[in-house]
Amino acid sequence: MLLDGRIALVTGASRGIGAAIARGFAAEGATVLLTARGEGVDELARELDVPPRRAGAMRGDISDPAFARELIAWVRKEHGRLDVLVNNAGVLRRGLIGMMSADHMRELLDVNVLAVMLLTQYATRIMDSQRFPSVVNLTSIAGTQGSEGLTAYAASKAAVVGYTLASAKELAPKGIRVNAIAPGLIDTEMMRWVTDDWQERRLPAIRMGRVGTPEDVAGVAVFLASRLSRYVTGQVIGVDGGMTA
Amino acid sequence: MNADRLRECFSHALGIPRERVTDDLAYNTLEEWDSVGHMALVAELEGEFDVMFDTDDIIGMSTVAKAREILSRLGVAFDAA
Repeated sequence: MLLDGRIALVTGASRGIGAAIARGFAAEGATVLLTARGEGVDELARELDVPPRRAGAMRGDISDPAFARELIAWVRKEHGRLDVLVNNAGVLRRGLIGMMSADHMRELLDVNVLAVMLLTQYATRIMDSQRFPSVVNLTSIAGTQGSEGLTAYAASKAAVVGYTLASAKELAPKGIRVNAIAPGLIDTEMMRWVTDDWQERRLPAIRMGRVGTPEDVAGVAVFLASRLSRYVTGQVIGVDGGMTA
Repeated sequence: MNADRLRECFSHALGIPRERVTDDLAYNTLEEWDSVGHMALVAELEGEFDVMFDTDDIIGMSTVAKAREILSRLGVAFDAA
């Protein structure tokens, strides 16, 4: 299997794209460690904990520096190292420029950007360069192309692109690869936060003629986590059915 | 005992003789202890003493004495000098 023996940590793993990535990793033989704020993450860990494959979960807020440190300390204590970090957790708040509160903007930046930087700091300290380690950051088509009504979200996801490119350069000499996935319109609970009208206006732009599934994104995450992508770093891969083709 | 382990960590991570590892040895005062050496040192200390530093600790670990102080705070016992 593609991820046999790999130890992977997935954030925001209780549902949607994060859960699909966790299942995809487990199906390819990885030990999956999950984190999210909600209880669903415990249930998913139980589902995936099928010997000899292991799975575990720790609930908390990854934008809290103390929790980020505790989380990585737990990974090291339980498994001794980390091979793959997937920074998937994110929040989406919709609002026109003049209608977005400072609290919502701050929340977006804390979860979508600060948490990515904190976890990367800690996680890369327990990665072994001999095991072709990989960091996979989830950005968004909103971060690469912009999207009206999602300005703060787009800004936070653009920041993830910048962080991915810069950290890929800095970590390449240590053998750590850093890439990002930029999903387009994916059928998740989060996307249902935006209005039907907003989605319908974008459907014609999907050249492949359908909304994506979380599993479409998970497939790319498996590739980036695996040895198959061992010479790939600093890339932002669109998973958008041709929206940006 | 832990003082010896601390000295060995510095020596191994920075690639310098143990005799050079003194309390007042400071970050950026020798070629080997630059930012890259510092991260190697952090990894060495975390592995050896089974601790995880927070980022402020890493930034503040400016001398050997400071490293001992931070490790003490994290529960590593050192004999009184």
